[in-house]
Amino acid sequence: MEQNTFLKPRTISAIKDFICVLPALVFLGIFTYYPICKLIQISFTDWNLLNDTWNYVGLKNWIWLFNGSGTKHLLNSLKVTVLYSIGELTITLLGGLAFALIFGRLNKTFSIMRAIVFMPKYVAMSSAAVVFLWILNTDTGILNYLLNCVGLPSVDWLGNRNTALLSVLMLTGWRAIGYGMMIYLSAMIGISKDYYEAASLDGATAVQSFFKITLPMLSPTTLFLFVTTFISSMKVFQSVDILTSGGPYRATEVFVYTIYKYAMEDFRMDRASVVAIAFFVLLLVVTASTFKISNSSVHYDS
Amino acid sequence: MKKALAIMLTAAMGCGMLSGCSGGGSTGGGAVQQTTQAAQAAGDSGSSSGETSAAPAVDASMYEVTEPITIQWWHSIEDQNAQTVEDVVSAFNSSQDLITVEAVYVGSYGQVNEALVAAHAAGTGLPAVTVANTPYVAEYGAGGLTEDLTPYIQATGFDIDDFGKGLIDASSYEGKQVALPFLISTQVIYYNKDIADELGVTVPEKWDDMESFLEKVSVVNNGTVERYGTVVPGWDQWYFETFYLNKGVNIINDDRISTDLDSDAAVELVYQFKDWCDKGYMYWANGTDASSIMRQNFIDKKTFSVMHTSSLYNNYVDKCDFEVGMAWLPGGETKDQEIGGCVLLIPSKNDQATKNAAWQFLSYLCSKEVNMTWAKETGYIPTRNSVLQTEEGVKFLEEKPAFQCIFDNLDLINPRIQHPGWNQLATIWKNYMAEIMIEDVDIPSKIEDMVEEINEVLEDS
Repeated sequence: MEQNTFLKPRTISAIKDFICVLPALVFLGIFTYYPICKLIQISFTDWNLLNDTWNYVGLKNWIWLFNGSGTKHLLNSLKVTVLYSIGELTITLLGGLAFALIFGRLNKTFSIMRAIVFMPKYVAMSSAAVVFLWILNTDTGILNYLLNCVGLPSVDWLGNRNTALLSVLMLTGWRAIGYGMMIYLSAMIGISKDYYEAASLDGATAVQSFFKITLPMLSPTTLFLFVTTFISSMKVFQSVDILTSGGPYRATEVFVYTIYKYAMEDFRMDRASVVAIAFFVLLLVVTASTFKISNSSVHYDS
Repeated sequence: MKKALAIMLTAAMGCGMLSGCSGGGSTGGGAVQQTTQAAQAAGDSGSSSGETSAAPAVDASMYEVTEPITIQWWHSIEDQNAQTVEDVVSAFNSSQDLITVEAVYVGSYGQVNEALVAAHAAGTGLPAVTVANTPYVAEYGAGGLTEDLTPYIQATGFDIDDFGKGLIDASSYEGKQVALPFLISTQVIYYNKDIADELGVTVPEKWDDMESFLEKVSVVNNGTVERYGTVVPGWDQWYFETFYLNKGVNIINDDRISTDLDSDAAVELVYQFKDWCDKGYMYWANGTDASSIMRQNFIDKKTFSVMHTSSLYNNYVDKCDFEVGMAWLPGGETKDQEIGGCVLLIPSKNDQATKNAAWQFLSYLCSKEVNMTWAKETGYIPTRNSVLQTEEGVKFLEEKPAFQCIFDNLDLINPRIQHPGWNQLATIWKNYMAEIMIEDVDIPSKIEDMVEEINEVLEDS
């Protein structure tokens, strides 16, 4: 049998492997790395979305972002986004866990209740946001009507800087809490009954069982929910766009909305690019840190 | 082998990245753009709009529609006028055999702007004709988004001189007719005429008389506001910028890189507004649903008057169970106002056949007959001199006597301020104004921050 003198069998195998992953690489290259590369390039230009041409301006946009009027808005967006993320994480993790404990019984009544709690997840964000616009309307909204019924004054939910972000969180929380509940429920079902039986024999109370067995055994699920919710909450846009458009006076201007505003309202693709890169780096660092920290505090059944 | 694979992978990724970084200096979005031979033939002669209705100086055959074509018209005309849109488009489609127009409601002016700019940058998905809010004309003109309509006007002998000079200026950029006036409005005060008659008050003509007027028409009991005197639509600076202009404030100075919004006159206005807001004489409408809340407050008689666009006249009249009055805004040293509403334009990256069809439809929409249809069925102003200064104008006023205040002051309606950074300036301005009016903040430091930001934007635009 004639041997291939140029390439060893392992090399041929590796080339075959490479050809197999090539479509995925091309896809990644076009839709992930090319845009990132383009973003970096645009950040050094003065590209206005309306123009077909641009000029390279060196570090001008970066100086604007870190040592100009952009700094103030960057810090504002950072603050708003972090506050929003903390809010959504709290609702999804604590709310989800609480609902999972409340609706955890596996009978038909509770199954219907779980379905009701989870159902908002199926409602399109845009539709839900429009409904919340009505609910939160200062003069005709049902929320203020209920407040008035119990003798409390009306609140300008979307027009006041202290309540605008809370209003956005009401909407996202309403949609997210059911999701958190379902993830926790499925994880709870997976916890072996043996642990609880052993604890019961040792005289452990329900509270002790929860803190010593349920919570530690749910830590991988909590990590999963934390990371996915954190990343999605950092990228929140739609609810902010419909409910507040970043207002009042930038009080709900989260990162993605800031990028969108620079690019699509001001046409400043150059400024949008530097903010987007800063956001990208921030997300990368925080996500990597989360994984690093979590390695030491997550308990796996095995 | 691992090394070889790594080299290949790096090379593959590197190619992708290199291609990403190449081609500097162009967005690559101009593939669709065709060099408009016709425009070149017309030679961008820089002819003023006043000369455009002269005998055609270009080859009219270059602008003819010779093949059947379907085109899109993007608009922002809301549901209440959907029937008028349908009637107008159907009438055009049935008036000839070659062009079929599809009217597409895109959303608000802001949403049309976003969709249009994105399509322009991509070089695809552009409408043949689109509406554009009047302040965008300068930015679109500077960015080359709009087709210069001058050769089309010359080739077809379109009677552009029948528009007022202010309207022509508002739809041109640096001498080029980049758009035509379509649905034109201005700022007015709508007021409850029944209450005005009862109290024996009229909307003042002078800013200095506003305080006593607001005191009379507002109802504030022990700090609780039962009826506001008026409402300022803080969501759009167009509604309050006219007060600054009439006080002699240069929103953009002659140097084009700085603002006068921290001048004594401008600061005095801020304090005046704030004082009236604090007293409950007015409120500063802000937020995503501020417009609908403001309208509802007026309908519910929770406010005596509102500052709004004249285009909503029919809407207010239909919904109020009292007589609606309409008045010119109180003036300062002058009592000028600014054009609102929208113009029509043809995106420059369309192919010539689409542009030719678009021009036919655009010139039809801007015709006197269609304009009068809009004027009668909405609150938009008749734009043609041949209507305003003739029997037709008299007849129009008989049908809508409230428009007398606009007809009396037509010469005072000016084009918008044109600057490539205007949109950014407006956003900064209205954000700071809303914060000052609604929150308890240190006003001088906020004004200082605002002016610093605006100057930075103007310098960098």
